[in-house]
Amino acid sequence: MKSDFKRIIEKWIPQNTKVLDLGCGDGDLLEYLKDSKNVNGFGIEIDVSKANECLKRNIPVMQCDIDEGIKEFDDLDFDITIMANSIQCLKNPNLALQNILNISNKCIVTLPNFAHWSCRLDLFLGKMPVTKNLPVPWYETKNIHLCTIKDFEELCSNLDVSVIEKLYLNNNFKESALTRLLPNLFAAEGVYLIERK
Amino acid sequence: MIVETKKILIDSKLECASGEALENFELMTDFYGELNEKKDNAVLVCHAFSGSHHAAGKRDGNIGWWDEFIGPDKTINTNRFFVVSVNNLGSCFGSSGPLSKDKNGERFNNNFPQLEVIDWVESQKMLADKLGIKKWHLVIGGSLGGMQSLQWAVSYPKMVKKVGILAAAAKTSSQNIALNEVEREVIRKDSDFHDGKYLEFNKSPIEGLKAARMLGHITYLSAKNMDQRFGRKLQSTDSKIAEDVDFEIENYLQYKGGKFAESFDANSYILLTKVMDKFDIAHGYEDSLETALENIAAEVLVVSFTTDWMFPTSNGKEICLASIKANNKCSYIELEGEHGHDSFLYPNDDYQNAIKNFIESK
Repeated sequence: MKSDFKRIIEKWIPQNTKVLDLGCGDGDLLEYLKDSKNVNGFGIEIDVSKANECLKRNIPVMQCDIDEGIKEFDDLDFDITIMANSIQCLKNPNLALQNILNISNKCIVTLPNFAHWSCRLDLFLGKMPVTKNLPVPWYETKNIHLCTIKDFEELCSNLDVSVIEKLYLNNNFKESALTRLLPNLFAAEGVYLIERK
Repeated sequence: MIVETKKILIDSKLECASGEALENFELMTDFYGELNEKKDNAVLVCHAFSGSHHAAGKRDGNIGWWDEFIGPDKTINTNRFFVVSVNNLGSCFGSSGPLSKDKNGERFNNNFPQLEVIDWVESQKMLADKLGIKKWHLVIGGSLGGMQSLQWAVSYPKMVKKVGILAAAAKTSSQNIALNEVEREVIRKDSDFHDGKYLEFNKSPIEGLKAARMLGHITYLSAKNMDQRFGRKLQSTDSKIAEDVDFEIENYLQYKGGKFAESFDANSYILLTKVMDKFDIAHGYEDSLETALENIAAEVLVVSFTTDWMFPTSNGKEICLASIKANNKCSYIELEGEHGHDSFLYPNDDYQNAIKNFIESK
């Protein structure tokens, strides 16, 4: 994971909190947060070799599907849940978001913006977008519920979820005048800190 | 690798959960590797229902039940760790059990105290004290051995740094108990059983024990694995074990059951299945798994196999979720496993990596 990105997420996570990372990969982020913020981290990861890397780093991990995992977690309690680049892979992102905010006070969501100009260009040329942050062709991608920045913010408002912080990032994980001006066109990535109203 | 097998006398009274007691007892124990000076590299490996202390290496033509996992540079690296493997009390491979003699010199037979998993833990705690081991780096086991590992972590939190629970459950299900009861019934109904006093008549309920094991064996395998291995293949006439055998699977069960019945004791079989039936870690904690697991201080690894129908993955997940709720550090790995419940015994890269990474992480 890009170190800029880690630093952004880190800022929103208080010291000594209980953090759930949905789709935690090899546990890199949780290890970083453990070292920098002394968080009590827990990850969910479907890929067994990545889950095994978590074990190597001594990051507790539950190897399962996020959709399934969230269902099982219904009576757990976390301070913050991180869902980095995985909401678009879920079966029911709207239900998942509600469930996450039942078990966790806050949630950090990052998502690829499907309305980024590069996606629009590909679609204009009649092709499914293959971009820097959506590199996998349509027939192999795990992204089944892609959305735009506008869509996600609309969903939050429909679900009575408030956005506490948000960042519109370009392909280099930086905010720029352009991404601030027209996020839905120029931001490749939306990063949100949300909570229930 | 240094290998030692010792029968260790624990000359103190063991008060069992049932209220009965053993004045003293012996534990047949294997040791692999070397205990370091700080005595902090000890690993306790807990065998399953019909296993023994013989976990690694070849001896008398038999290979240890976890040989591919224990040894120099193996999953549990004996260059680094000192592995202790104990034959459980009540079993029949050298530790005190129905075959041993009571204080009056009479064979226990069916009068050996009915044990519970917690009694095994107590007996091994006494062994650890004798060996000067104050804290296990790891207690690990599969099936009934996984239950025992869990009990260790709950009963003696300060003595367990890490705990591995493989293909196990927090309690036996009604179905587990039901199957065990059928197995016990066929043993008891063998005309050579003599109410458990068969050895006094120079008999052994071999046929009952064999049938019990045949049923048990089916529960250890998966339907898919059986189909792949045996399918509907017919047994060739010259290699039939019994006359009325048609299919390969029948012959296989006949063979396995027969071989098992020659080497296992029927009273132990009954006693050990009852140990399994009795197991419920939440018992004594207002039936709350979470409350029971709050005692745990160890880091926990739970592994379940999707082809295991004896202790399905939901059992493993339940332990992990309750453990997280109890604020423990717990991981859960789910593997397909080609061998059903028995998958915990077989080498597999993902499986062995999970165990190795868990043990060796700082």
